[in-house]
Amino acid sequence: ARTPSPRPGGWSSPGLNTPYDTGGRTSPIRGYANGASQNITWASAQARSAEVKGYTAFNPRNQGFFGRHFRTISTHLPFSHTEKDKVSLGRHQNKVMQFLNALGRSLWRLRRSVGLVLLLVVGFILFYVTPLHRVYRRSSLLGGGGSKYVIILAANQGGGVMEWKGPREWAIERDSVKNKKKYVQKWGYDLEIVDMSTKKRYAHEWRESWEKVDTIRNAMRKYPKAEWFWWLDTNTFIMEPSYSLQSHIFKRLKYDTYRDINKYNPLNISHPLTDNYLDEETRSLDGDGKVDSINMIVPQDCGGFNLGSFFVRRSVWTDRLLDIWWDPVGYEQKHMEWEHKEQDAMEYMYSNQPWIRPHVAFINQRKINSFPPGACGEKGDDPQIHYQEKDRDFLVNMAGCEWGRDCWAEMYKYRQLSNRLNRNPWEKFKDGISDSIRNMKKSKEKDKK
Amino acid sequence: MPPRKTSRPPPYAARNQSSSIPIPPALRNILRRATIRTIALGVLGFFTIVWLLRWMGGGSGSAVVIGSGAPVVIVTVIDPKANQGWVEKVKKNREDYAARHGYKTFFPENQDYPLRNSPLSWAKVPAVRHAMSLNPGSTWFWYLDHTALIMNPSIEITSQFLAPARLEKHMIVNEPVVPPDSVIKTFGNLKGDRIDVVVTQDKEGITQSSFVVRNGEWAKFFLDAWFDPIYRSYNFQKAEAHALEHIVQWHGTILAKLALVPQNLFNSYVTGPAHPKDGQYRNGDLVAVFPGCDRDKRSCEDEMRSFFTILEGKPSNSQD
Repeated sequence: ARTPSPRPGGWSSPGLNTPYDTGGRTSPIRGYANGASQNITWASAQARSAEVKGYTAFNPRNQGFFGRHFRTISTHLPFSHTEKDKVSLGRHQNKVMQFLNALGRSLWRLRRSVGLVLLLVVGFILFYVTPLHRVYRRSSLLGGGGSKYVIILAANQGGGVMEWKGPREWAIERDSVKNKKKYVQKWGYDLEIVDMSTKKRYAHEWRESWEKVDTIRNAMRKYPKAEWFWWLDTNTFIMEPSYSLQSHIFKRLKYDTYRDINKYNPLNISHPLTDNYLDEETRSLDGDGKVDSINMIVPQDCGGFNLGSFFVRRSVWTDRLLDIWWDPVGYEQKHMEWEHKEQDAMEYMYSNQPWIRPHVAFINQRKINSFPPGACGEKGDDPQIHYQEKDRDFLVNMAGCEWGRDCWAEMYKYRQLSNRLNRNPWEKFKDGISDSIRNMKKSKEKDKK
Repeated sequence: MPPRKTSRPPPYAARNQSSSIPIPPALRNILRRATIRTIALGVLGFFTIVWLLRWMGGGSGSAVVIGSGAPVVIVTVIDPKANQGWVEKVKKNREDYAARHGYKTFFPENQDYPLRNSPLSWAKVPAVRHAMSLNPGSTWFWYLDHTALIMNPSIEITSQFLAPARLEKHMIVNEPVVPPDSVIKTFGNLKGDRIDVVVTQDKEGITQSSFVVRNGEWAKFFLDAWFDPIYRSYNFQKAEAHALEHIVQWHGTILAKLALVPQNLFNSYVTGPAHPKDGQYRNGDLVAVFPGCDRDKRSCEDEMRSFFTILEGKPSNSQD
């Protein structure tokens, strides 16, 4: 046993009483007689070994913030290494804190996997919050491949030369362009807005509609990396911007398109060709059957091909088609007969030039070209042709609205419908609440009556 | 002396993290054995090869490869109403030439094809298309009218002027497509291996008594466009001749594949409006043509008779 010290406070043991213990006081404090050993804390033992190892040079008297408050901080952290302190501090923590402490400790132990999961979640959030997801969608190397698609939108039809272009026409154009711009930005496609004003640059007036062909050719030159070009008339509206072209059409080309026009043949074109001088591929029902040989996707409406919304692909076949589409001999003989100009010319060429057939595929009209009521049927109830809200059709083409219908009203109606169908969950919740309140009020009124 | 062990051994045995991929221990035990490892690798490699083959094989398809058949097919449309003796002599002329060079021949009749009341001379277009369907492996299709006669069978056309280098040498560039002063001129920077149709001009325009087409998708486009009913119903004055001139001038995708060569290469005129520079037949030219001898009460048999005797006089393997 140790001899009792003459002075109160016991023998001075500078190694055991560290500045950490005394909270900054330099004079020794009253301690137990023999038993400084019962009060040995881990911190003091560490400081002692630090002294022995020669780290004293880094332990000045005035420790600085952390030096003076180290103990306070470390005991109030949610997890601490000093298990031995748990006993003395246990009274200060209730069950919740104990639980949180345990949780923190186990998380720290699994910090590698926890860190990984956290990294993934944060990465996911950052991907969608920043424009990073749009860059991904656009890149063709490692991403959605959006740069391979170009939407060619006709605007300024007529340009006010042949007829008056008032505020309604301007509003229709603005809505249509805004709708396509938003869609294109979301999925990383390119948008080419072409001015279809009547410029009389061709010798004959009716030639103007064939401009479509020249603009597609120009677009193919302007976007050399793009593969598919989608022509859209002005009076169209993309109802479901959450569908990407890849997922809606191009990944399913084999299932959604057909080359055997007998499946739906409003023009009664005889298919397949039977002339004996033609080769097997031209005479077959669906070309060579491979998806890669589809170079043009055309929807058919009740009267034939509809070129208000169709796709062409970059290929030598397309170059030749665009070149041969307009010919003065054909134009001279047929322009009075071809009311729909280049559309009728296309139908004619499909029937009479066999090299075209194997590469043209047809698509169900409602996939890219639904009609509103009034086009191809007054009531709008043909399930093959007209827009069906419950099926959430992709695009509405208000074809022929200039003749007898109200283009602006239709555009407005479909814009509102699209906005309503594509509300985000918060808006749906708010609308749900307001609707239920309204219904309650209505039923109260009914009860009163 | 062996190294001293420490008196404070580490609390846990050191983990042996030899591989960087975290493999569950069960799998790692299996992979330890060499035999099973090799078997697994072999199976994986086999499936990879199968997949690669399928991926590559699916791309090529089962179509006949161009170049696997006879290099040239000579097409001559026969008129069943003409003098059959003369027709037989013309056919024999082609067959001798073809046999000599390993070519093939094709002799359809001009009534075989649905011409819809157009002049029978239009039959040449579907005839070449028909030949292409029957001979998918051949490279070139030489249409030679029945008013023409092959006089010098030793000249072989693929090496003489169809090879890319020779085509480029013989091509006439920047020449008005329809003499004397058509605005559209032949292109100047065409490469020989991209040419798909070889034509000649006489004094008045592009001839169609003798032209060569290369097998391929472009030829189908060209022939189908040429045969479009709107050109036949337009009633051009010179039928398919004017139609050809029209489409060559109006459609750049056709002009870009067209080579214009001197007339005496394979289309020399004996009578008729020969091209002033090089259209007239001379001894040694490959072909002698008597344009229009099948019309206007002329007789091809009479006009060709002296040439037939020259041909018969030559022994079959002469080198001149």
